Amino acid sequence: MEIKVRYFGQLQEITGVKEASFTLPFDTIGSLRAHLITIYPDLKNINFKIAQDNKIDSDLSDLNGTLIDLLPPFSGG
Amino acid sequence: MIMENRYQRHIQLSEIGQTGQDKIKKAKVLVIGAGGLGCPALQYLTASGVGIIGIMDPDIVSVSNLQRQILYNENDIGKNKALCAEHYLSKLNSDVKIKSYPFALTVENAAEHIAKFDMVIDGTDNFYTRYLINDQCVLLNKVMVYGALYKFEGQVSVFNYKNGPSYRCLFPKPPGKGEIPNCSEVGVLGVVPGVIGMHQASETLKIILEIGDVLSGKLLCINLLNHTNTIFDFEKNENEIIRLKKLGSVIPIENQDCFVDFELSLTQLSSQEMIMWIDVREQDELPRVTHLNVVEHPLSNDVSLKIFSDFEGKIIAFCQTGIRSKVFVQKLKDKGIENCFSLKEGAKQLIEWGL
Repeated sequence: MEIKVRYFGQLQEITGVKEASFTLPFDTIGSLRAHLITIYPDLKNINFKIAQDNKIDSDLSDLNGTLIDLLPPFSGG
Repeated sequence: MIMENRYQRHIQLSEIGQTGQDKIKKAKVLVIGAGGLGCPALQYLTASGVGIIGIMDPDIVSVSNLQRQILYNENDIGKNKALCAEHYLSKLNSDVKIKSYPFALTVENAAEHIAKFDMVIDGTDNFYTRYLINDQCVLLNKVMVYGALYKFEGQVSVFNYKNGPSYRCLFPKPPGKGEIPNCSEVGVLGVVPGVIGMHQASETLKIILEIGDVLSGKLLCINLLNHTNTIFDFEKNENEIIRLKKLGSVIPIENQDCFVDFELSLTQLSSQEMIMWIDVREQDELPRVTHLNVVEHPLSNDVSLKIFSDFEGKIIAFCQTGIRSKVFVQKLKDKGIENCFSLKEGAKQLIEWGL
């Protein structure tokens, strides 16, 4: 199954891309996070949330969505 | 002037009517941060006839604010934002009772001020105040209307609404130092806070009027570059709420943020440090500080960069009370000089400190 991953805010600068597709299987949200950190080590320092199919989920949840969004906190005002 | 038609376009709406307009008149809203988010939110809420509006901001208007903080003009540079906003908004609508608080929200004063209002609009530009607002709103059972931005993107949500999730349910812990750049380091398209601040005003009015769907348990993410508006659902984390309520006070976090990061107190300095002191007062102001390391550079003079650019120690500006020195430091920062700070105290305290 192919998943589409979209990066929000400064995560676009860290990864250098706005979105990417993955065909690797991931059991959980946490395993996707771990994989992304191996590709982009700087992601390790950011406490971003991960949403699947528009629902923010915990790292322990099964990954069964196809649209994955990575959401960092914003500080500006 | 006849004002009886003032809210006619509200009253004409079947969802509002005179009953709804009366609810708006009874509402009490505190806007914390009168910057990019606060300005548009304040203007619309004032125009809408919200009964009591509080404006809290310790900051002064600087020239680099004018690109997006649309309440202010060039004559306001150097003036406190809460006081300026009060001045303009009371002219916009004399029905509204506007109360300015020209100081920062702190652990000590948060409960006292938030308790006086029904809800809080978060117009801050830093995590420290945002978590403080969240924690105090949870403890006092007040709604928090959240907005934040990054470059061309923004987030909006409503926390603590009818027992709904809080900011800590979404992001339990503040980011570590340097993890997320603070506002003075990041550019932003001027209209982004406008769009987000108006969403906050809109949620506030819907909550007061009890109409529509409130963004509780939902994070709205807006990107103005590609027109995407996405709503993400998220759940309440009972542990976060229980932790706060058990503690009975805000969870302390280190203040490492934006609008305070260029202020320094004498208590934070050691006499061994290499410091260039800049006296930004006019030359007839007393007491004079006579010392080898003091450069006199009145605020009214054009900034001369030559003396600052090669200096490797700390550049610390002072005046009588720490207000004009902030304006001066902002000017230096706008010109790309990084190692500059504003002294919280004044010349008198500096002499007593031993310079």
